[in-house]
Amino acid sequence: MNAEHAGEVRIHSESDIVATRKTVRTAATQLGFGITDVTRIVTAASELARNVFRYAGSGIMRWQALDTGGRIGIELTFEDRGPGITDVEQAMQAGYTSGGGLGMGLPGAKRLMDEFEIASEIGKGTIVTAKKWHGRLGDSTS
Amino acid sequence: MEGSSGQDRQAEVTMSEWVQRKDFVGFTDDDAQLLRNLRPIGEAYADEVVEELYRQFFRFEETRVFFPDDPKLKAMQKQYFLGLTHGDYGEAYLANRLHIGRVHQQIGLSPRWYIGAYSIYTQLVFPQIMAALRADLAKAQRTFLALLKVIMLDTELAITTYIAASEEVIARQSREILEISTPVVQVWKGVIVAPLIGMLDTQRAQQFMERLLTRVVETRSSVALVDITGVPMLDTRTAQHLLEAIAAVRLLGAQLVLTGVRPTIAQTLVHLGIDLEGVVTRASLEAGLRFAMESMHLQDATRNEHR
Amino acid sequence: MADESITVVKVRDVLMVTLPADPDDASVSALQMKVLQMMEQYDATGLVLDISAVETLDSFFARTVAETAQMTALMGGRTVIAGMRPSVAITATQLGLTLGSAMTALDVDRALDTLTDAGQRGQ
Repeated sequence: MNAEHAGEVRIHSESDIVATRKTVRTAATQLGFGITDVTRIVTAASELARNVFRYAGSGIMRWQALDTGGRIGIELTFEDRGPGITDVEQAMQAGYTSGGGLGMGLPGAKRLMDEFEIASEIGKGTIVTAKKWHGRLGDSTS
Repeated sequence: MEGSSGQDRQAEVTMSEWVQRKDFVGFTDDDAQLLRNLRPIGEAYADEVVEELYRQFFRFEETRVFFPDDPKLKAMQKQYFLGLTHGDYGEAYLANRLHIGRVHQQIGLSPRWYIGAYSIYTQLVFPQIMAALRADLAKAQRTFLALLKVIMLDTELAITTYIAASEEVIARQSREILEISTPVVQVWKGVIVAPLIGMLDTQRAQQFMERLLTRVVETRSSVALVDITGVPMLDTRTAQHLLEAIAAVRLLGAQLVLTGVRPTIAQTLVHLGIDLEGVVTRASLEAGLRFAMESMHLQDATRNEHR
Repeated sequence: MADESITVVKVRDVLMVTLPADPDDASVSALQMKVLQMMEQYDATGLVLDISAVETLDSFFARTVAETAQMTALMGGRTVIAGMRPSVAITATQLGLTLGSAMTALDVDRALDTLTDAGQRGQ
């Protein structure tokens, strides 16, 4: 089986949010994540893709298979040339408890993934990197 | 030995890790070249070495079982040793060695025996190398060291695959134990009971939630009784996981009732400030069952009213 | 992406919606308006959102559903979300998503029962 190890989706329109979900779903499933973990990863990707579209207008999602010392995982990177995030700390708090507003995206995605990093510069853009790992070889955490 | 089988699982050691391992032991292209040069000599003494090896295997009961005096086996053994001086130590070599390691674990051969075999091989081969390269002792030394490095790398691979395969067995058994220790039993139409034993760490909580929710859907239950009589004490994490389970079951359209809330648990819940607003809890499983039945009767009664 | 316009069906006094597996944002927003229009048109007392096929429930979807439930309530209707998948429920819980005043049911049958019960109890 020739599984892919990486891919990307350009985010230019609202329908690209769905495209991102579909691509990430296929990738995560192929990497052997169980259905609940796949759901978490896809949901995180959906939040982050929507953020890119709504805040920056356009950007790109890249995914990559991870393989370190017997652990398999997936890395998602969302990159845009948008306005950047003024206060990352605040963005991670924003909208969290209210259950509404676009601010839900970042803290939500962070909760669903194992590793989460944001690099943002005002006027330059934002890069969000998120990783999720699953168990040892042959052990699917369904 | 055939090359790697077309399996879906990821290799225990990837190419990039293999490169790193070679780098770590200092196995260079020069070493590969020295071993390539050793090849004709290797081919010359391979039979003799395999015979000597099998004589040793025969002396010990454990290895006698795994390595009977079988020509086919011996031929495979010879191929394995010749592989050490093949000269190419890339992807195909790695795949081959990983495959061998897996097979050994599958047949139940513990590493100590085939690592012991490497040691015997090394002892048998050393004089051969010294004899063949006596004109250039420096080269003989480098050659022998090159061989040692590749044998060490093989040993590492053998251990890695053995551990990986063993861990797989352990993981599977843990899951099975978890299944047995966390049964979710349907006690009535629309009512399931899930007794929890012990504490809930994140992994266990995930598995528990998935099982519970799946069973709710499968049995089309309105009430899921989660009995925590077997939970010795409640820490924040376990309490948090229980709250998540309660919320998730509610999203499905069913109700999670927490039973077995003993005095100490009740105290802990209040002290931890856990908000159980809207959650039905009972001190005993029996009380929980009574609640479930009443709730079912109420549902049926209301339904029957409109028919 | 093809326009996935979601169908709203009237069954007696209840509006029934079966959502597809992966609806896009536009369809979900359009659904809200459609539901409210039909609430008015048919003076419906309930709304059932069948999400048994839905694979991803993110904050946008949840917020739209919660809003719809609130708006429907203002127009005199109760909302029930039916058939959420276990993996979706677990993820939604981890995200901390709420569905507002919407009720939940294991499936469409139970959802209809719930709406009828609620109606009978004069809520």
